[in-house]
Amino acid sequence: MLLKIWEILSKYYVDILIGVGYTMLVALIGTVVGLVIGILIGVYRTIPDPRNKTALVFKKIGDWLLTAYVEIFRGTPMMVQAMVIFWGFAELNDGMTLDVTVSGLIIVSINTGAYMAEIVRGGIISIDKGQFEGAHALGLTHTQTMFNVVLPQALRNILPSVSNEFVINIKDTSVLNVIGFTELFFVAKDIVTQTYETFPTYLLVAIVYFILTFGISMLLRFIERKMDGSKNYKVLGSQNMDAESFAREARNG
Amino acid sequence: MAEKTTPYLQNDDSTAADVGQPIVKIEHLGKSFGDHAVLKDIDFAVNKGDVTCVIGPSGSGKSTLLRCINLFEKPTVGRILFHGEDVTATRKPYLLRQKVGMVFQSFNLFNNLNVLHNCTLGPRKVFKMSKADAEQLALRHLKTVGMDAYVNAKPRQLSGGQKQRVAIARALCMDPEVLLFDEPTSALDPEMVGEVLSAMKTLAEGGLTMIVVTHEMSFARDVANHVVFMDGGVIVEEGAPAQIFDDPREERTKAFLSRNKAVN
Repeated sequence: MLLKIWEILSKYYVDILIGVGYTMLVALIGTVVGLVIGILIGVYRTIPDPRNKTALVFKKIGDWLLTAYVEIFRGTPMMVQAMVIFWGFAELNDGMTLDVTVSGLIIVSINTGAYMAEIVRGGIISIDKGQFEGAHALGLTHTQTMFNVVLPQALRNILPSVSNEFVINIKDTSVLNVIGFTELFFVAKDIVTQTYETFPTYLLVAIVYFILTFGISMLLRFIERKMDGSKNYKVLGSQNMDAESFAREARNG
Repeated sequence: MAEKTTPYLQNDDSTAADVGQPIVKIEHLGKSFGDHAVLKDIDFAVNKGDVTCVIGPSGSGKSTLLRCINLFEKPTVGRILFHGEDVTATRKPYLLRQKVGMVFQSFNLFNNLNVLHNCTLGPRKVFKMSKADAEQLALRHLKTVGMDAYVNAKPRQLSGGQKQRVAIARALCMDPEVLLFDEPTSALDPEMVGEVLSAMKTLAEGGLTMIVVTHEMSFARDVANHVVFMDGGVIVEEGAPAQIFDDPREERTKAFLSRNKAVN
C-alpha cells in the first residue's frame, strides 16, 4: 500500500503540487478578500443610526441588502453557488464562460465574506463599551474610534475564527471541481482515471490536505502569539530624566 | 440648525465675549430612562477654575448628570450651555468632547495601545499633531501624574492606580477646558486611592476646571471650592465645602454625611 502511494506520488507529484498551488491560492485570496468584505459590512452595521430621516432610510435599505447577502450565501451550499454563478455568467454572455480560476476566486471570496461579516460584527460588539467611550471622550469621531481603537482589538479577538475559515476554505475549494477548477481534489480524480488506484490516491490526497490545514493552523497560532506581544515591558530611565531623553528611549524601546 | 447655534465649538475663539460667563451651564435638565426619572430639573453652573465635587448616595443621578455634560447621555428635557451656546442637540458632540474631557471609573484605556500611544492618539487624530510633538506633550503630562517611566507598558500590565493616572494624563493631552471625573477612585484598592487623589489635587492647584463625582469626602472638603449634594435626582444643597460639611442646612444632607462618618 505504502509502495503504491509512493509510486503515485513520484509519478504525479507535479500535478499534485499544481493542485496544492491552486487550492492554496483560492483559499488564501478567498479568505483575505472575504475578511475585507466582512470588515466593511461589520463596520457598516455598527454605525449608529443617523438622525437625518433620509440618511436613516438609506441606511436601513443598505442593512436589508446586506442581511439578504449574508443569509443567502450562508444558506446555500457553495457547490450550488459555484454552479449558479459559473453557468449564470455563461447564460448572460451567450454561452461564453468565465475563466474557472477567476470564478473560483469570486465564489470563495463572496461566500467567505458572508461568514466573515457575522464574525467581524461579533468581534466588534464584544469589545467593551468603555473602549468606545474612552475614545469618544477625547473627541474622536465614530470612524476614528473604529479604526484606531476598536477594530485592532476586534481583529485580534476574531483571529481564531478567521483561521478557522481559512482551514475550511482549504478543504471546501474541493467543491470547485464541479466547474472544472484544477484544485487538489480535481487532480486526484484525474489521477484515478489514469491509474484506477482509487484508495491510495485519495489517502494520499487526504494526507496532503491535512498537512496544509495543520500547517496553516500552526502558522496562525504563531501569528496570534506575535500579536499579543511581550509579557514584559521596560521601565524607563531614572526619575529625573528630561523629556527629550525619555522621548528618545520611548521611540527606540 | 444646531450647527448655526454653536459658533463657539466651530471657531475655537474662546477669548471673546465670555468673560464672567460660566463655561458650562445647565438649565432645567431632566433625564429619564423609560419611566424612571434619574434627573429632575437640575440647574447648575461651572465657572473657570472651579473645582466642583458632586456627592450623594448611589443612584442619586450624579454620574448621569456628569455624562449629560459631555453628551454621553441625551437629556430628556432642559438645556446644556457651553460658553452660552446651546449644545444639547448638536449633531457633532465630538466637537464638545474635544474641550470637555472625561476620566472614568473603569479607566477605559485603549487595550491595544501602550501608555504613550494612549496619550498621543487624541492629539494626533483630533488636532493632527505630529508624532514627535504629541509624544513630547504626552511625556509632559505623564510626568505630571508620575507615569512617565511606563510609556512602553500596555494597560493590562499596570495596576489600577497606574491606569487611572495614565487616563488622567491622556485627558490632559487634549488640553480640556473642563475635566469631568466619574468616580475616579471607586474601582481602586484602598492603597491606590491616594496616588490618584494626589494627582488630581495637583491639577486642581494648577487651576484646572474640574467636576468630580466622588465618594471621597475628605477630597471634596480639602480640594473642592464648591460642593453639590444630590439625592433622588435633584440637587438638595450646594455651597462651599465648609458650609456643606460643617453646617448642612438640609436634613437629607445631614443624614448622608453622618452615615458616611459612621462608615469611615
